[in-house]
Amino acid sequence: MKRAYGTIYLPLILAVVVLGAPGCSKKAVQSGGDTQSSQQGMAKGSGSSGSSVSGSSESSASGSSDGATSGGVSPNFPDTALSGRDASSGLRGLDKSPSEERVGNGGNTLLAKADPGSAGRQMDEIRAEQSASTAAGLRDVFFAYDSFSISEEGRQALSRNAEWMKSNSGAQLKIEGHCDERGTSAYNLVLGEKRAKSVRNYLVELGVAANHLSVVSYGKERPFCKEHAESCYSQNRRGHVVVKTGK
Amino acid sequence: MNFRTVTVISLCLTVGLAWILESGAADVFLEATRPDFQKIPLGVAGIQNSGGSDSLEGQIKLGGRIEEVLKADVRRSLVFSLVDLPSVGIKVSDLGTGPDPAFKQAAEHGVSVIVWGQAGMKSGDKDADVNMDGYVYDAGSDEVVGGKRYVGSTTVVRLMAHRFADELVFRYTGEPGIARTKIAYVSEQGSARELFVMDYDGYEPRQLTADGFLNLMPRWSPDRRFLVFTAYRNRNSQDIDMIELATGKRWTLVSLGGLNITPALSPDGNFLAFASSYEGNSELYRLDTRTKALQRLTVNASGDLSPSWSLSGRELAFTSDRSGGPQVFLMSADGTNVRRLTFEGDYNAAPAWSPRGNWIAYICRTPKKEYKLCLITPDGQKRVQLTAGPGVDDSPSWSPDGRHIVFSSTADGKSQIYMINADGKDLERITFTGTHNSAPTWSPAS
Repeated sequence: MKRAYGTIYLPLILAVVVLGAPGCSKKAVQSGGDTQSSQQGMAKGSGSSGSSVSGSSESSASGSSDGATSGGVSPNFPDTALSGRDASSGLRGLDKSPSEERVGNGGNTLLAKADPGSAGRQMDEIRAEQSASTAAGLRDVFFAYDSFSISEEGRQALSRNAEWMKSNSGAQLKIEGHCDERGTSAYNLVLGEKRAKSVRNYLVELGVAANHLSVVSYGKERPFCKEHAESCYSQNRRGHVVVKTGK
Repeated sequence: MNFRTVTVISLCLTVGLAWILESGAADVFLEATRPDFQKIPLGVAGIQNSGGSDSLEGQIKLGGRIEEVLKADVRRSLVFSLVDLPSVGIKVSDLGTGPDPAFKQAAEHGVSVIVWGQAGMKSGDKDADVNMDGYVYDAGSDEVVGGKRYVGSTTVVRLMAHRFADELVFRYTGEPGIARTKIAYVSEQGSARELFVMDYDGYEPRQLTADGFLNLMPRWSPDRRFLVFTAYRNRNSQDIDMIELATGKRWTLVSLGGLNITPALSPDGNFLAFASSYEGNSELYRLDTRTKALQRLTVNASGDLSPSWSLSGRELAFTSDRSGGPQVFLMSADGTNVRRLTFEGDYNAAPAWSPRGNWIAYICRTPKKEYKLCLITPDGQKRVQLTAGPGVDDSPSWSPDGRHIVFSSTADGKSQIYMINADGKDLERITFTGTHNSAPTWSPAS
C-alpha cells in the first residue's frame, strides 16, 4: 500500500519539492542584488522622463510649467513600479573573503534647478499685488478657530471691498484663504479654501461679478505672523483680499 | 488531515530545510515585528583607524565617525540591542581580521553578534578614497561569519556605515534595513517653501526645488526615483507636479484648477490618488497612470483629502469632514465600501497606513486641543496616542520596515522633524536648523 502511494504520488511530491521548497523557506540571504544599480541609487533611470517634458521642465522652476494636456493630466507618466527583485537591491550579504565594493553617492547628484530670476520675480509680483491692494484700501476678513463663516465685522469689510469693485469694474480680485498653525497642513488647505470661497460667495451676494473673483488656499503655509499664541493665530485665520496683478 | 497531506507537507519541510542549508542561507529568519521578538544583542568592538603616521587630520577621526553612525543605525534598526562591551567588562585587545579572545567571553555574557572593523584613506592625499572593512563575529557559531570591504570618496563615509548596518539587518532578518533610506520634506526658505531630501537620520540635506513659492506635501514613487507634490503655479492655483531626483527635471502631472493636494502613488505605481476641488469641493480622485483615466472616488458636499494606500493597493485611508470635523475613513480603492474609522475626538486627520498593514498613524486632537500622533488598527479595535504635551504634530509617515514614524512637530517651538518608534519609544529629533521643516515622507527601502 505504501509502495502504491509512493508510485502514484511520487511525481506530485517531486513537483511540490521542486516548486515548493523555496517557498517553504523565506528569501535567501544571497539575493544576487544588483549592487551597481543601487549604489547609484536615485541616479538610476535618469532621462527616462522623455523628451515631451523637456520644454516644460525648463520653465518649471518658475512654477509656470505647462506640461499638462487639455484634460488637465500629463501624458508623461513614467513607470514607477519597483520590481520585486529590487527589494533588497545592493545588499550582497556578508562574505568570508569580501571583495571590494565601491560605494557611490547617487544622492549627491541631486541639485536644485535654481533659477535665481524666478524667486526674485515671485517677490516682485507679490510686492506689486500688495501695493495695489493697499492703495485700493481692500480689507481682509478674519475667522474664528475651525470656522469658515463670516462674522458681522467681516461683512462690513467685504461691503467696503464691494464698493471699491463698483468703481473699479475692470479689476480682478484674488481671495487667499489662510489658517493658523493648529491642525494638519493638508486639512488647513481645505479649510483655507472654504474660507476663501465664503468670502467670494459673500462678495457675489453683494453684486460683484463672479468672473472678477478668484480663490486660492495657502492653508497654514504662508502665515502673516509666526508666534505660537492666539494673538498671532487670530491674524492668520484670514481671507486676504488682494488686487490680482499677475496672470 | 490525511496521510497523503502529511507526507507532502513533511517532505516539503524536510527538503525545504535541506534547501536552506545547501544554499548557504543557514540563518534562521526572525520576524522582528512580532510582539515576542527578542532583539539580538550586538556589540561594536570598534572601528579603528587604519591610517599610518602620515594621517591627515580628518582621517584620525574617520573610524570614530563611522563607528558612531554604525551604532546609531544598529540602535534604530530595532533588530539588535546595542551592547556597550566595556560596560559589561569586555576588553578587546587586538582587532585584526579574526576574532579576539575576548569575543568568547562576550558570548558568555549573552552577546550574540560582535562587529568591528577599520577605516582609513589610501594615502595622505585628501582627495584619496576612503576604505572601510567590517567584520562580523557570530557567538552562536563562534566564528567570523563574514565581512565587507567598502571603498569610496570621503563624501560617502556615512553611507558606508549605513550600508554595513543594512547588511547586518539583512543577514539576521532577510529584510533590507532602513539605514540607506531617505526622507523628503518641506523647508522654509525665506517666505517660500521648497522640497528637500535628507538621509533618514537627518544628515546630508539637499535642496530639490528653488522656485521661490510653495511646494508642499511630497510623496515618493515606489521606485524612489521621483517625488509627487503640490506646487503653486503663478501663486494663484495649485497643480500636482513630479520631480525626478537624479536630474531635478520637473513637470506638471495634474492641472485641473482649484485645490489639488495630497498626491499619493499606489504601491505598484499604477495609480495616483489625490484630492482636487476642481468640481466644487475637495474630493478624492484616482488617476490610472497608464491609461490616464481619471476616476472620481468620493461624492459628497464635504471635504475629502489625504488618501493613503494600504500595502496591497486595494484600500485607501483618507480624511473627510462629512460627519462634521475631520475624521479618518477607509474605502476600497474604487471608492466603494466607505466606512468611518475614528470616533474618538472631534479632529482626526492625515492618515498614514503602515507598510506592515497593522496600524494607521494619524493626527488626533486631544481634549486639551493639542494635535498629537495617534495609531489605530484598521479594524478600529485598538487606538494608541503616541505623543503628548504642547506643540502641533503633523504629517506622519512610516519607515518602510513599519517600525518607525517620522512626523513634524512644533514641540520645541519652530516646526522640526522627529521620529518615534511605533511603540512610542525613542522619540528623536532629526532636524535642527532652519526656520520651518515640515511634511516629512519616508522613502521606500532600497
